[in-house]
Amino acid sequence: MKNEPKKSSNVPYIIIGVVLIAVLGVVALGTGLIGAGWWISNKSQQTANSANRPANSTAAARTPQAPVNAPPGAQPPNLLGSPTASVTVEEFADFQCGSCAAAHPAMKEIQQVYGSRIKFIFRNYPLAIPAHAKAYDAAVAVEAAGMQDRNKFWALQDQLFVNQAAWSPPSANHRQLWLDYATKIGLDTARFQSDMAGIAAKTRVDQDLARGKALGVNSTPSIYINNQPVPFPDVNVQSLRRIIDAELQRAASAPANTGTGTNTK
Amino acid sequence: MPVLKIIAIAAALAGLADSVYLTIHHYTAEPVPCSIISGCETVLTSEYAEIGGVPLAALGAAAYFAAFSLALLATFGNRTAWTLFGVQSIIMAAVTSWLLYLQASVIGAFCQFCLISAITSFTLLIVYIISMLLQRKKAI
Repeated sequence: MKNEPKKSSNVPYIIIGVVLIAVLGVVALGTGLIGAGWWISNKSQQTANSANRPANSTAAARTPQAPVNAPPGAQPPNLLGSPTASVTVEEFADFQCGSCAAAHPAMKEIQQVYGSRIKFIFRNYPLAIPAHAKAYDAAVAVEAAGMQDRNKFWALQDQLFVNQAAWSPPSANHRQLWLDYATKIGLDTARFQSDMAGIAAKTRVDQDLARGKALGVNSTPSIYINNQPVPFPDVNVQSLRRIIDAELQRAASAPANTGTGTNTK
Repeated sequence: MPVLKIIAIAAALAGLADSVYLTIHHYTAEPVPCSIISGCETVLTSEYAEIGGVPLAALGAAAYFAAFSLALLATFGNRTAWTLFGVQSIIMAAVTSWLLYLQASVIGAFCQFCLISAITSFTLLIVYIISMLLQRKKAI
């Protein structure tokens, strides 16, 4: 009789032990700490496979009609490459968006790889959500930098994405940090501050926003290649190169159609 | 009473499963685009998602595991465990309230899996309060 309660009193500890082992096992497998390298690699393989999809299938998945009625956005646009290139890559991004910062190196690589063979346009698209309370001002800041020198736009844009984790949290003194970045890239900080407060930079941001809204942009980063949206899973160097190469090839084989990449409709 | 403890065990296990999922997600999530319909990514990638480098979700999993263990021990007759469960459920509900405040006021976004955790956490406290009330009734 005395043994029975003892036996039963062990039961909860056994159950606790089993649950603990199960939890640790699931966490270890799920995070790839043990044995589940195959699961993680399978997942990456799937991502890679989606990246390896032929450009045509991507093209097929894209919205067929070009947004002809969309306003042109800020003019002149923040542009890299050649304004007359047959392929236009247009990025809508938000400086407080983690995925935009994550995509930034890929966008830079695309700019470097293709150079003047493409027209790369950056559009400000600060999302009006409480978590991105600094995004609109950040967009105004890069436009203010661009008002001093177009190259400074790209330099500050780079700084804001690279240092996003530092200035983006609610507790960070973002204005001071932006001034530090402005100094670092050689901006006239007095003029930078006055341009940030002025109407011109804000107008440019609003113009980009209006274009994005007309195109139906509701998330960032949103990439358009020759006015066709690129699905988010394809926002990586490999997939973007595949799509751009296909568009370049298409433009080369049909010279009459060149110029479709204009984003200033 | 055993029914209440079984409910507590079930709620703790649900919270544990949710926290384990969030912990795994914390380490393995693929980036998703930022959306005007703000969601989990905002919450799960906020500066509040970690405390001293430890994901909040992992701390939650540890808390739910402790709650599960205490409720289980209590079901097998350990009264001290049930008292400890009560103390823990109060602390967990307080932390949950703070996290809900952060999501609503500071981060400005809610995460559905964090809300599931909030429900399970409050369930633990409610179960404990009901068990105390029933105990008092019995005593009277």
